[in-house]
Amino acid sequence: MSENHESGSLVKTLRPFHVWALGVGIVLVGEYMGWNFTVAKGGVLGSLLAMLVAGTMYVMISLCASELGSATKLAGGPYDWARLFVGPGAAASVGLAVYMEYIALEAADAIVVAFIAQSIFPELQVFPVTLLVIALLTFINYRGVVAALTLNFFLTMIAFIAIVIFFFATAFGAVDIHPEYLFQGALPNGMIGLFAALQFGPWFYLGIEGAAMCAEECKHPSRAVPLGQQAGMITLLIGAAMTLYLCSVLIPTDMLGVSVYPLFEAAQNSGVFLFIAALGLGTFLTCIASANGCVCDSSRSWFALSRDHYVSSWFSAVHPRYNTPYRAVIFTMPVAIGFAFSGFLDQVITFSIISGLLCYVLIPFSLIRFRNLFPETTSKVRPFVGPLQPFIAYFAIAIAITILSTLFWGYKYNLIFGFVFYGIAYFYFSHKHKTSTAENNWAEMGWPAPKGSEIARTGKEVMGVDE
Amino acid sequence: MLTNNPAMESKYHSKLNGDTALIMGMLALLIGVEGFVLYRILSETWEIAGNFFYLYVIFVGLVVVIEAIGCLSVRKSIKNHMFEFRYYD
Repeated sequence: MSENHESGSLVKTLRPFHVWALGVGIVLVGEYMGWNFTVAKGGVLGSLLAMLVAGTMYVMISLCASELGSATKLAGGPYDWARLFVGPGAAASVGLAVYMEYIALEAADAIVVAFIAQSIFPELQVFPVTLLVIALLTFINYRGVVAALTLNFFLTMIAFIAIVIFFFATAFGAVDIHPEYLFQGALPNGMIGLFAALQFGPWFYLGIEGAAMCAEECKHPSRAVPLGQQAGMITLLIGAAMTLYLCSVLIPTDMLGVSVYPLFEAAQNSGVFLFIAALGLGTFLTCIASANGCVCDSSRSWFALSRDHYVSSWFSAVHPRYNTPYRAVIFTMPVAIGFAFSGFLDQVITFSIISGLLCYVLIPFSLIRFRNLFPETTSKVRPFVGPLQPFIAYFAIAIAITILSTLFWGYKYNLIFGFVFYGIAYFYFSHKHKTSTAENNWAEMGWPAPKGSEIARTGKEVMGVDE
Repeated sequence: MLTNNPAMESKYHSKLNGDTALIMGMLALLIGVEGFVLYRILSETWEIAGNFFYLYVIFVGLVVVIEAIGCLSVRKSIKNHMFEFRYYD
């Protein structure tokens, strides 16, 4: 018996380690840089709380995504879940949010790769190197998803192992640490800092939900998605705790809060060449892995939007030889270049976080709707049954809204812009698809009719309304 | 679901044990690392953190317990469907 549905002709070859590589590959860069803004807001204790609160939210989100991804087995991920279980307006908003989240992150990663390359070879210029990185990763993703994610696996594994070795060497006393930094920078801005630090907590895990977006290309999605995603989530939790400890005992808090490459700087402060080289390489590789994963996920989101005519269906073509959504992949390039050279990198990254948080409200909401519409647990409908649902879905929504509200401090206009952008998308696509008679063809997916549809159909027949 | 092929069943259970060992090993590492980091940071900053340390205990507890239950659910799901979907062929 096969669990694969005929949907397009994307090749179904990915395994759990590819899912792990996609999820962790995108996110690990956030542990090499970016997370340390939590320290600037709330000190070491604020950063620790932000790491744990965001970690709790992401554990719950990843369980929701595992259940939804292994059930639907579609490339659009959060977009397809919202389309199937919520409605067209929410689907379009979340589809665009995923696209923007990943493509903004890709642009930021490519710029950082270019800056690192320039710091090693001063004769290089940032502009052409950024272009080269974006073009090269687009080409790799154009050629095939297996090659792209196998590359991601090795890049990510090297970067993660570098953190693990550095941590254990430090924990077992091979490196001189400064425990007094922990107390000196414990809570510089008082209790309000604890709350303010939450806004950068997602940096530790931002994008892990994207691991489920390769479900349509997995050989056995009902095993690969939950296993790969949960392994990825544990990897990130371990990496986040190790990173926070290493940087907090090796870099003074006032410098840690503004550091560009905190893990690399921690390695430099250790004075051990092996760690300096390993963490420098890790910083470089994790940026490439993140950008590579972002090309993969953003193109799948655009492909899914195109397949359902939310954007031009021209983008939904699948390459006859490489079985990739090649037009959607190529289209990531001009958009990423536009973001990269907008000159507002911090704004781009903040927009990425706001887009991600919007997804973190809609993913658990999609799961709640999924459970209401399809309460039965069968191999076809729900091969992986997530635990503690729907309670953790409600809890995840509450944490996501709390973190979103903390962005009001310092990013008020970004937040308003994000709401306006996705609000317009919601109402535009709700209106556009309101008159559409197309309904989700559950039978084609091998699913029964959703709960309540029989009653609705009978009611229409009694009233003599044509469908 | 079981098959009439003992060799296949043996192979499948062996592979399932591999998946289980991987997840259990990572969970053990997670608990060890989270515990170590929490202890080191809170013990050094106890004069300040002592007033609200319960926040850290609650959230680290939530992370570890939910993730552990999630991993057990993943194992149960793989075990239930491994022959039906031929996961390890």
